[in-house]
Amino acid sequence: MVMMLGMDPISIIGGTVAVALFGILAGLVFMGVERKFAAHMQARIGPPIRQPFRDVAKLLSKDSIVPENAIPLLFNMAPVLALASSIVILLYIPLGGFLPVLAGYGDLILVMYLLTVPALALVAGGFASGSPYATVGSQREMVTMMSYELPLAIAVIAIAWRLAAAGIADPFSLATIAGTATGITIWSVAGPLGIIGFVLLLIVLAWVTPAELSRVPCDTPEAETELCGGLLVEYSGRNLGLFYLAQGVKTVAMAALAVALFLPWNISWYVALSPNAALVADFAFFLLKLMVVIFFSVSVIRVGMARFRITHVVSIYWGYLGGLGLLGLLCVVLDASLGGGGML
Amino acid sequence: MSEDSKNKATFNVPIGPVHPALKEPILFTFKMDGELVEEVDFAPGKCHRGIEWMGMRRNPVQIVHLTDRICGICGVSHSLAFARAVEQIAEIEVPERAHYVRTIIAEYERLQSHLLWAGVAAHELGFDTLFFLAWRVREESMDVIEYLTGNRVNYGIVQVGGVRRDFTEDQFPRIEASLQYYEDIAAKLLKLFLEDKTIQIRCKQCGVMSKREALELCTVGPTARASGVAMDVRSDSPYAAYGDLDIAPVLPHHYLGLTNGDVYDRIVVRLLEVVQSVDLIRQCLANMPPGEVLWEKKYPKILAACKKATGEAVGRVEAPRGECLHYVRMDGNPSPQTWKVKASTYSNQLSWLKMLKGEQIADIPIVVASIDPCMSCTDRVAVVRDDRTDILTKADLHRLSVEKTRRLAQWS
Amino acid sequence: MSFLPAIPEILRQFLKRPATNIFPAKYLPPSVTKYLQSVQEGKTSIHPPVETPPNFRGKILYDRDTCIGCKLCIRVCPANAIEFLPETKRVRIYVTQCIFCSQCNDACPVDALHMSDEFLLADEDRYSENMIVE
Ligand code: SF4
Ligand code: SF4
Repeated sequence: MVMMLGMDPISIIGGTVAVALFGILAGLVFMGVERKFAAHMQARIGPPIRQPFRDVAKLLSKDSIVPENAIPLLFNMAPVLALASSIVILLYIPLGGFLPVLAGYGDLILVMYLLTVPALALVAGGFASGSPYATVGSQREMVTMMSYELPLAIAVIAIAWRLAAAGIADPFSLATIAGTATGITIWSVAGPLGIIGFVLLLIVLAWVTPAELSRVPCDTPEAETELCGGLLVEYSGRNLGLFYLAQGVKTVAMAALAVALFLPWNISWYVALSPNAALVADFAFFLLKLMVVIFFSVSVIRVGMARFRITHVVSIYWGYLGGLGLLGLLCVVLDASLGGGGML
Repeated sequence: MSEDSKNKATFNVPIGPVHPALKEPILFTFKMDGELVEEVDFAPGKCHRGIEWMGMRRNPVQIVHLTDRICGICGVSHSLAFARAVEQIAEIEVPERAHYVRTIIAEYERLQSHLLWAGVAAHELGFDTLFFLAWRVREESMDVIEYLTGNRVNYGIVQVGGVRRDFTEDQFPRIEASLQYYEDIAAKLLKLFLEDKTIQIRCKQCGVMSKREALELCTVGPTARASGVAMDVRSDSPYAAYGDLDIAPVLPHHYLGLTNGDVYDRIVVRLLEVVQSVDLIRQCLANMPPGEVLWEKKYPKILAACKKATGEAVGRVEAPRGECLHYVRMDGNPSPQTWKVKASTYSNQLSWLKMLKGEQIADIPIVVASIDPCMSCTDRVAVVRDDRTDILTKADLHRLSVEKTRRLAQWS
Repeated sequence: MSFLPAIPEILRQFLKRPATNIFPAKYLPPSVTKYLQSVQEGKTSIHPPVETPPNFRGKILYDRDTCIGCKLCIRVCPANAIEFLPETKRVRIYVTQCIFCSQCNDACPVDALHMSDEFLLADEDRYSENMIVE
C-alpha cells in the first residue's frame, strides 16, 4: 500500500515537518536502544532507553561556549547545518509504506551527495574550533569521508544499474529501488549470481555505516582516548545538543537507506490489509527493520572490535571493502548479462 | 596520508595532565608532523603527595600501612618492599609461613593488576568490550583478596616481621575456586586479546623497543621482559617464598616464538603472567608450612625492635609493573631517618621517548599505557618555586645527590 | 570469525544476563537524596550491596568500658586518627581520618577495638555523630 504525500507545497511542508519530527524522535529512541544493545553485549545493564532524551534536554538547556580563537559564525552554524542536512536526507528516503516526501525531486545520487553534508558540517565546525585536537579530528573526518565514498558509490551504482538492466524505468529513484509502489525489489530481479553480488554489497554497506556515523572502529575523528572527542572537543551546550540530534537523525537515515536498498519488503505486499492498517503495519515493520540494521551495522561492529588508525580506515575501505564492492558489482554485471532469473 | 603530510607544517599537541587517554596526571608535549610524532617531551611531577615526608614522622609499624597507599593497584608490593628493608635493618626473622602468605597475596595482586591493565589497554584502543570483560574477570581476584585480607584495595596484610592474618584451611576452597576460574578463562582471554585482528593491526610493530634499548634505558618488569630481557626480581634475587617455587621470567617468545618488543608483546607478557601467577599460588598452597605468621605478636615489642634498629637497607620486590625498591635508614629513633621509594614506573618512563617517536597520534594512548604507568607512585619530588616548576638537569641532580650523601654521612 | 573472536562472544553475551551489580538501584534515580529519603521511610527498597566477607574491615567499633587508656592504639595508628582524651583517659576515633587498617584492633591489649562491616559511610559533615567514635 502506498500513500502519496502529494506534491503541492502545503503537503511538502507538512511532510517535511513530520519527517523532521520523526527523524529526531526516532533518532533519539534508536540511540537509546542502540546503547542498550551495546550494554547487553558487554554484560552491562546500560542507561535507560530514554537517556538520549535526557542528555539532549540537558545539553539544550546549557550555555554554548565559543572558544576564544574559534570563528564564531562558522562554529555556531555547523551544528545547525549538520542537523538540517541530516533531516534533508530523510526527505528523499522511503519510510515504510510512505514514499519519500521529495520523491520527484531527487534520486539516489543526490542522497549520496547529501550524506557528505553533515560530515562536511562537522569538518567545518572542527576547523572553526581553533583547537589542535579538533583540527586533527577534522582532517581525519575528511580522510574517512573520502575512504568510504568508493565502497558506498559502488554499492549504490550496482543496484541502480541492475535495475536498469532489468528494464525498470527510473532506476536511480529510491522509490523505484525500494519497490514501494511496484513491489519489485532488487532481490526479485536478480538471479542466483546477482543475489550473491547483492549480499556482498549489503556487507559493504553495513561496513560503510559505522564510518558514515563515526562509530568505533571508525570513530577516529572523535577518538575519545586520543583526541578527547576530536572535532567535537570544543562544542558544548546547545551546539553539542544539535550535533547529538544530527547524529541520531543520521543514524536513522543511514539505516533507512540500507533498508530501502536491501530490505525493501513491506508487509502489505503479502498480507491483504485495509489501507490504513497497511500503512501502520508497514511502518511498524519498517521500524523493526531499522532496528535490525542498527543492531548489526552499528552495535555489533562497534562493540566487537578496536578502533582503527586513520591509515587503516583508508586501506580497509579502499582496499578490502572497495574490492568486495567491485566483486559484488562483477557478480551483478555477470548476472545481468547472463540474463539470470527475475520476473521481467 | 604520509605522502601529503610531508608538506604540512609541524604543530604542537599537548596531552595531559588531564586527558581521557591518561589515567594519571602527566604532561606530554608532542611535536606533530601531520599524524606522525616528531618529538616528545614529558613532565611528570603533577601528583606529588609527600608520602615519604609523612613516613619520616611515623614509626615503621605505621608506615607499613602508608605504603599500601603509595599505589592503588600494587600496594602490597610497596608494603612488602618496605617491610623487607626494615626487617633487614632490625634483623627480624620472618616466619616461613608468613613468606607464603605474602607470596600468595603478592601474586593475587599481580593477577588483578595485569587484568586491570589489560582492560585499560583495550579501552585505549577503543575496544571497550574487552575493557568490561577484563575488569569483570578481575573482580574475582578482588573478591578473594577481600575475603583473605578484609579489604579489596588496601590489603593491610603485611606487617614488619610477618603478616597480620593467616590463611586457614577452610579458606582454601575459596582460593582454589578462584584459581580454577582463572584457569578456565585464561584461554578465552588469550584468544580475545591476542587473536583479534583489530588489536593485532593496532599493536604489532607499534611502540617498538629493542632488547638493547630496554637494557640501556634500565627498564624493568613486563616492559623489559616484552623486549626479551630475562629479568625478574622474583627469580633473580628471590624474596618471600619465591626461592622455593618453580619460577622463570615470562618472555614473549614463549608464546609467539619470537620477540618483537612491541605493544603486542607487552600484552602477551602480561597475560601470560596472569597464568603464571595462578600456577605460583597453586604451588604456594601446596607447600605452605605450618607455624606462626608474625615474628612477634605484641606490638610494643615490634615497635621497640624497630626503634632499636640502626643501619640502612634496601627492600626489592617485583611489583606487577616491575622492580619496586624501598631504601630505609634507621638511626635509633622511632621514625626512619630516610625513606626513599623508587616505583617501577620511574625506571620505565624514559622508554616513552623512544617508543613514541615516529608513531601516529592514534598510537599515543596505547603506547603510553603499554608500560602500565603509575604516576602517583612515581612522583616523589615536585619543586615549585614562585609558581614555576624548576627543571633539574643531570648536573643539578648529581650535585644534589652528592650533597645529600654527605649530609647522611655526617648524621651517622 | 576467527579474526574477530569478540563477535561470537558478544552475541552470546547478548542473550545472557548482564553482570552489573544493581546496587543501589537499577537506574540512577532522578534525585538521589529523595530516593534515600524514601528508602529511609520504607517506601522504596534498596537493592542490597554485595555481602561483605567475614573479618571485613569496616567502620571502627570502640568499647570504652573495656579500654584502659594505654594509648597503644595511638602509637600504631598510621593515620593519626585516634585522639586521647586526658580527662576521661579514653580515646576518640575520627572515622573520616581512619584508613581502616585495623592495626589498632591488633595492638589493643584488652581488645577494646573492633571493625564492623559497615562501609556506607558517606556524610556531609566530617564531625557528625556518625563520623566520630568515642
Ligand atoms: S583502623 Fe587504622 S587508621 Fe583506623 S583508627 Fe585504627 S589504626 Fe587508625
Ligand atoms: S589500645 Fe585499647 S586499651 Fe589502649 S587506649 Fe587504645 S583502645 Fe584503649
